[in-house]
Order: sequence, then structure tokens, then C-alpha cells
Amino acid sequence: MESTSQTSSKNQPIAAVLLSRAHDPEETKRILTEKIQQRPLFLCPSSPPPSDARAARRREREKKRLSRKKTLKPKPLSANERRKLGLYDVPRSGQRYALFEPLHQLWLGYIREILGNEIHTGGEGAASKLTSADFHGAEVEVVRSGCVSRVGLKGIVIKDSRFTFEVVTRRNQRKLVPKEGTVFRIEVPLGGVPTATVEEGQSDEKQQQQQTEAEQPKMIFEVHGEQFQFRSADRANKKFRSHFSKIL
Amino acid sequence: MLSFPTPSVYQSSKCFVTYGVMGHLDPNQPPTKSKPWSTVAGQDFINRVELIIPQDAFEVVRKILNEKAAPEFQRVVMSLHDVLSGDFFTECIKKGNVMMLSEGRKGIDNVFTFRNGILTMLLDKEAYERAGLVGKPDGVKGKRGLKPRWVVEIDLTSSSMVPGKKGFDRLIYASKNAFNTPVTWLFCNLSSTIPNPDPLAPHSPTRCAAEPSVLENLDAMLPTLKPPVDAIGPEGREELQYFSTELYEWLSLVRLQSPRIQVGDQVDPYLCRYQVPGDGQQGKICKLTWQGFLAPSWCREILLSLVAELPSKTWFSFSTTTFSKGMAGDNSEISLFRAQGAPGEYLMWEIKSHE
Repeated sequence: MESTSQTSSKNQPIAAVLLSRAHDPEETKRILTEKIQQRPLFLCPSSPPPSDARAARRREREKKRLSRKKTLKPKPLSANERRKLGLYDVPRSGQRYALFEPLHQLWLGYIREILGNEIHTGGEGAASKLTSADFHGAEVEVVRSGCVSRVGLKGIVIKDSRFTFEVVTRRNQRKLVPKEGTVFRIEVPLGGVPTATVEEGQSDEKQQQQQTEAEQPKMIFEVHGEQFQFRSADRANKKFRSHFSKIL
Repeated sequence: MLSFPTPSVYQSSKCFVTYGVMGHLDPNQPPTKSKPWSTVAGQDFINRVELIIPQDAFEVVRKILNEKAAPEFQRVVMSLHDVLSGDFFTECIKKGNVMMLSEGRKGIDNVFTFRNGILTMLLDKEAYERAGLVGKPDGVKGKRGLKPRWVVEIDLTSSSMVPGKKGFDRLIYASKNAFNTPVTWLFCNLSSTIPNPDPLAPHSPTRCAAEPSVLENLDAMLPTLKPPVDAIGPEGREELQYFSTELYEWLSLVRLQSPRIQVGDQVDPYLCRYQVPGDGQQGKICKLTWQGFLAPSWCREILLSLVAELPSKTWFSFSTTTFSKGMAGDNSEISLFRAQGAPGEYLMWEIKSHE
């Protein structure tokens, strides 16, 4: 094939050749010079310079107002800033399990109040109430996990973030447990109310006020961390649908 | 997503034939490290042992068997927590020499085995994730990620497996939470002493003794029972292959008690074209079968005494079959044949199944 070059055999630019197919020679020459070879390049094509000083001043004022509004709006903290502020640090003295025990009791009372009578029947009604509940102060135990070394971890939740639970264990250790691929079990003792038995085969005939913790009837439920990966604030209004889980 | 069948890599069982020399047997120092003794003792959990001998050797064999006690095993229902705690753990597992196999089909249910001090758990994905013990994926490349099964191996005789240590506590936690249902175990005590009081007694075991079932005086057509002379060496490979295949086929038919090997068998060649190879000799043979939970060390001892005490003109065939290893139910087997007139030589077939 012949090499394609800028000039044709007649030493004309190729644009001229193409134009000459459509227009007569004078038109060709005019279009070539005005619109192609001497084409003006606008540097600021969309904003024509203001016609007078008043319009220029008004434009300045608008720009300043908008930028002021933007700086007033609060931006989320970056990771470095968060670390420097130390908002989520727990000091060594504060990492004790005994400190969070009263919080746990408070949480148990809160859950019993939310569930009301559903604590005895269990099932769908209890589940929908529990999904919107807050879990700070719950005592969770990891029961099944894709990472096997996490199984058996038990502690009180001190922080419920989007992807993890931060718990304090009985041995005063702070552990960060990811929610992915993990199943957590939570037990709620019924708390000395003389009532009928509950699920999970925990049948207790004695109905005394003073029962040891092991004998008290409990409601036990398991939370699939995979489906629970929302911040506790976001979970309040979320509708949960059943999904096929890849770990099961 | 839910209805596609899971692909798998299927491999059929393979048979390895060895034609070798047994070497001199010193009654004071029974051989353990050489073939065939090491292969026989290296099997796990033998289910069935079969011995085929000519009828005139039966008296000798009966005398040999009367000297030894019949192998005993017990069936007991325990949970894994019972195995790992109390007297049973300290006496039988830590100090003693026992062998245990739990019920279940490997590849489908969760199976536990205990042998040589190592507890092996074959688990499916849910049980593994609930147990919390570290293990390795089972199968070729973990079955390439589709519904993987897991193998957990723990050495229970090591000094770190004591209540109070972290590793052992994790095992106890798993046995209480993930494996708390009692299962049926087969138990075999390999050492000759039983600690007193018997630690199995509180779990009320059922004792079983594997007595041999004897089939005497079978009139059978015998094949050529001597390996061809030119079967040795690389040139004789084909000869050896033909001979060993035909002989193994005949031995299997005897074990199956097939009517094809009996004298005077007339079967329509449309149904079966099998003919006993050789020149049509006839003789009387005898077959003994032991079935149960047998130890490979017992098999080795029986084989040693047979080789030592049977006269050199009698031939015999001894085969051991293990419990099946996987879903397909294939089991591995070792068959040994000593020809008449050649007391130092043996022909061995090892059938290995792939899971």
C-alpha cells in the first residue's frame, strides 16, 4: 500500500482534498483558511469575560459566598485525625471486665424490655425486634467462624462498628472480632420471673427467685455476622431479608 | 446455583504386585522392617482376614491358632468428651496402646479415629468451623473449594495434652460444644495387659471375639500354583503380569465361594467364560475367615507363625482387608501367596484405593 502522508500527489493538504469533493474551489479555500488553518482556540470557552465591571464584581461576590458555605460544612475525620484524637482508645485501667458488668446487666434489662413476651415464644417476632436492638453491653460468644482460632471468644461488647465487634474478655483483654464469616451466640437469662420454659431445651421446673445462673431458663439466639455488617445506628431502620449465605 | 452436581476427581483403585524373597526368619527376632512384614503391619484398622490353605495343612493351622487367643475387640458408646477425660484418658490413651474407630461413613459423616497416639477427626465444614481446632483440607487440593472437608490431627500422647494447657482446653471445648453427642466406637486394646479396674467398664462395652469361620473340604480345580521360571527380571514382566492376574482372580473366586472353581462346574459359556487356568488339577482346599476390628500387629504375628510352621510343600494365601476409606466404599487390601516348593519366595498384591 502507498504510505498515507499529509500531502496528496498534488501537494495539497488532505483536508483540502476532502473539502474539494463537496464544495467549489473558492469555498474550499475559504473554509480551509478560516475554519481549519486559522481556527481560533478559545482559552476560556464557557465563560465569556464580563462585559462591565459591575458584572465582574457580582461574580466575585457569588464565588466567595459559595466557598464560605463549603468550609462551614463539617467533613468526616480522616484516619490519621481519628488516631490522633484517640476517640476510641480504651486506657489500660479501663479494660477491666468488672467495669462493664453493670453495663451488661443494663443491657439485659433493656433486651427484656424490648422483647416483652416474645422472649418466651422466640421466632420471627423476637428476631425482628432483635435486629433493630443495640448490642453495646451484650455478652457475645463466637460459636462458629471461618477463622477457627476465633471460636470460643467470649466477652462484653464495648464497640459495635460496621465490620467488627470490640469485646472485653473475662481476662481483661480487649479483642477485636471481625463479623465476617462468624456466628455469635448471645444468651439472655429470663431473670427470675416465674414463667414457663423457653427454647433450646432449657426446661427448668423450679420457679424460685434465687436461682443459680446455670439453672435459670435462658433465651439463646445466634447472630450471623455476615448479614449483620451494619453500624448499630444504621441497623435501626433496616429491613432484613433472608439471603443464601455462602458459609452455610 | 443449588442444583449442579459437584464435580469430583474419581480415581479407581490400583493394584501393585511384588514378587520377592522373604529372607531368613529368626524366631527370636521377628522381622519388622522389611517387606512384606512392614506393609502388613502398616495398615490401619483391618476388617477381614482370609486364609486359604490345602486341606492337609488344616491340622497344622488349627494347632497354630489354638496356641494364640482369638483377637478380641469391644464396641462401646461414648462421646468424645468421655474419651478425653477421666480414667479412660489417663490409662488407655496416655499410657496404653489402643486403637479406636468411631461410627460413620468417611466422606459423609464426622468420623474420629485414634491410632498410634494420634486422634484424627474427619469433619465437614460446619463441624470444623464450630470446633475451632486447626486442621488441613481433605482431598486433592481441598476438593478445589467445593464443600471442603477437613482433617484435624492431634497427638494425644504428647506432654502438652494435659488438662490445664491451652491446646487441650480447646479440644475439650470442642468436644463439649461441637461434638457432644455420644457415638459408637470400636475399641481394640493392642497391649496384652488390661489396667485394673477396666476404664471401659462404666460405659458398658459389648465384647466380641473374632473366631474364625472355617469352610473345609472344598473340592476345587487348582490352577498352576508355581510362578513361571522366567517371571523374574525385566524380561519376564509380562509373564509375571499374566500369572499374577490369573492367580489373583482364582484366589478371589475362592474367597467369594464362587461355584466356578468347583469340580464339575458346568455353566453356559454365554453366562460365564471363566476357566481355571492351568492343567486341570483337582484338590481339596480350606478357607478360614476372621471378621471384626483386628489389629495389624496380630495379622503380622499370624503370618509369621504360618510362614515358620507350615511345611514348605504346602502353599497358602493370606489376605487382609481394611475398613473402607471414603464415600465409594473402596477399601485397601494386601494379599500374600507363598507357592509350594519355594518357601522363601512370596507374591504380594497391594490394592490401594484413592479417595
